Amino acid sequence: MPAFQPGLVHLPVTPFAPDRSIDFDRLGKLIDFHIRSRADALALPTHAGESVSLTDGEKRALIEFAVKHIAGRVPLIAHVSEAGTAIAAALARHAEAAGAAAIMATTPYYWTPPPEMILEHFVQIGAAVRLPFLVHNAPEDMSGGRVSAELMLKLIGRLDNFAGLVDSSLDWQFMIDLIMEARHARPGFLLISGTDLMVSAAAIGATAMFAPLAGIAPNLLRRLFALCRDDNLFEARAAQEEIASLRQLLKAGGVASLKAALAARGRDCGHPRPPLQALDAGATATLVRELDSIAALRDEPRGW
Amino acid sequence: MTNKFRGVMQSPVTPLKNDFSLDLATFEKVLDFHVRTGATAISWPHHKGESLNLTIAERKRFAEAAVKTVAGRIPVTIHVSALAVEDTFALARHAQDIGADGILAITPYFWTPTREAIHDYFVRLCTSIELPVLSYNSPSYLAGVEITGDLMARLIERLPNFVGVKEASFNSEKFLEISRAALKLRPDFALVTGVEFLLPSVPLGGVGSYSAAGSICPNLCRDLFDACVAGEWPRARELQYKVSRLWALFRNQYPSSLKGGMVIMGRPVGPTRPPLPTASAERQAHIRAELEQLGILDTEPHGW
Repeated sequence: MPAFQPGLVHLPVTPFAPDRSIDFDRLGKLIDFHIRSRADALALPTHAGESVSLTDGEKRALIEFAVKHIAGRVPLIAHVSEAGTAIAAALARHAEAAGAAAIMATTPYYWTPPPEMILEHFVQIGAAVRLPFLVHNAPEDMSGGRVSAELMLKLIGRLDNFAGLVDSSLDWQFMIDLIMEARHARPGFLLISGTDLMVSAAAIGATAMFAPLAGIAPNLLRRLFALCRDDNLFEARAAQEEIASLRQLLKAGGVASLKAALAARGRDCGHPRPPLQALDAGATATLVRELDSIAALRDEPRGW
Repeated sequence: MTNKFRGVMQSPVTPLKNDFSLDLATFEKVLDFHVRTGATAISWPHHKGESLNLTIAERKRFAEAAVKTVAGRIPVTIHVSALAVEDTFALARHAQDIGADGILAITPYFWTPTREAIHDYFVRLCTSIELPVLSYNSPSYLAGVEITGDLMARLIERLPNFVGVKEASFNSEKFLEISRAALKLRPDFALVTGVEFLLPSVPLGGVGSYSAAGSICPNLCRDLFDACVAGEWPRARELQYKVSRLWALFRNQYPSSLKGGMVIMGRPVGPTRPPLPTASAERQAHIRAELEQLGILDTEPHGW
């Protein structure tokens, strides 16, 4: 399998029209914006892209649209997480046929199966395709559901195309335990920072980053990523702290804050879909004021 | 004043005789060994020193022995955390009276105090003595009770002798939030982790570690710290992975495996008090095999 290097991965939101349907025109503009803003790859539809609120048909249509629109400019990582193993595997097969470059999945939604069934879940999704397969460890998104380093090492033994782990656990022990063994079990195995907080992960051995805030601060994230990739970790700290303050500002409101911030930067992608609620006018005004007070955002693009 | 709590600081185990009584002569040998092999400070009794299995009278007696034996060669801090907060205050006062250089205190055990209660606790502790106080943040061991970045900032603003934290969340975001909040207000605030997490913490402002690993492998600890502060990341990664392998060995049945390992290194310190187990002969044989495989027996000092 050729080595897959995702680099700095941007995570586009899913724009919705006022009638709550996917706004494909805006999605096209947003994809162009991310590519122009120097994304090395795009991942969609992720949790930041409200994947869980899309129907099966919509997810397929979105992947087909994105592949056509990207037209080979950057690789597309298709996120196929589902509650049911077979449903996720079918999405993975569809994404491969549509032209995605890699597949990513979390632990199953809602269920808390025993470890051997979580292993089976990943084996079946990964084995449905020949593309590089990434596991996303995201306990905060999954009500605490997480994978262990031991389970991931077993998955390496079971799945030839298991290419890497996207970590949003931020857990130093987990990352160290995984990468120090996985690099022997599978040379080239990728540890990928699943959040905009990359410095510690990079110290441990992460070589790529999924950046949910890239729609707001692509220049700052590019600077952080370049410094981390080149092992300039002390120098990366200042950029990391700026990004951390942006992350804390948007964290409580989740996707609603992210979309409000995008609109404030001149890239209106509509409101989140129910059951998520848009920020109200007061919260939006506060957010906009606080965004405007972050000096580091002054060099970031406005508009499309 | 530059903060003196930095570098590879050692928190010695507590040597016991076969009847589980304190072994003062061996304790003095442990302290001397740490000082001779490059410890930058001593801090006793951490949990690995079986703090909670010692009576308050025993803790006072050995605290005096530690200060007397180290005799000003390096700073000595006393860990004063106890189940009853009133014992903590007594131990803190005692530490000051015997000439210790500082104290270390965790958020209260057992109860799940509110953020305000944690604030009030540290205010009361820090204003009861003049010694420097290091706090100890361990949310994963203490049911989510934690010192957040905001709380750290309030304590620093209020308390001139609140000089550092043993940060044991081992999580990129929690560490970053504390470092962002603390270093802005007190640039020499000591952010300390365990030696097993120097690599991810030093790029974000970490200045050192507490551990007892120096009783097994003082050379490796020092090399790792030097590589981190020099920004030699590829070398630091290899050394950190090696420390992590050792940590995996010792965190099992902690701290009895550590005491078992010290037997192998020619520095026996006796059994571990119940309810913690004492390393069996089989366990010691396993530890010996692992230490041999890691090359520790060839690269680290044997005997006292």
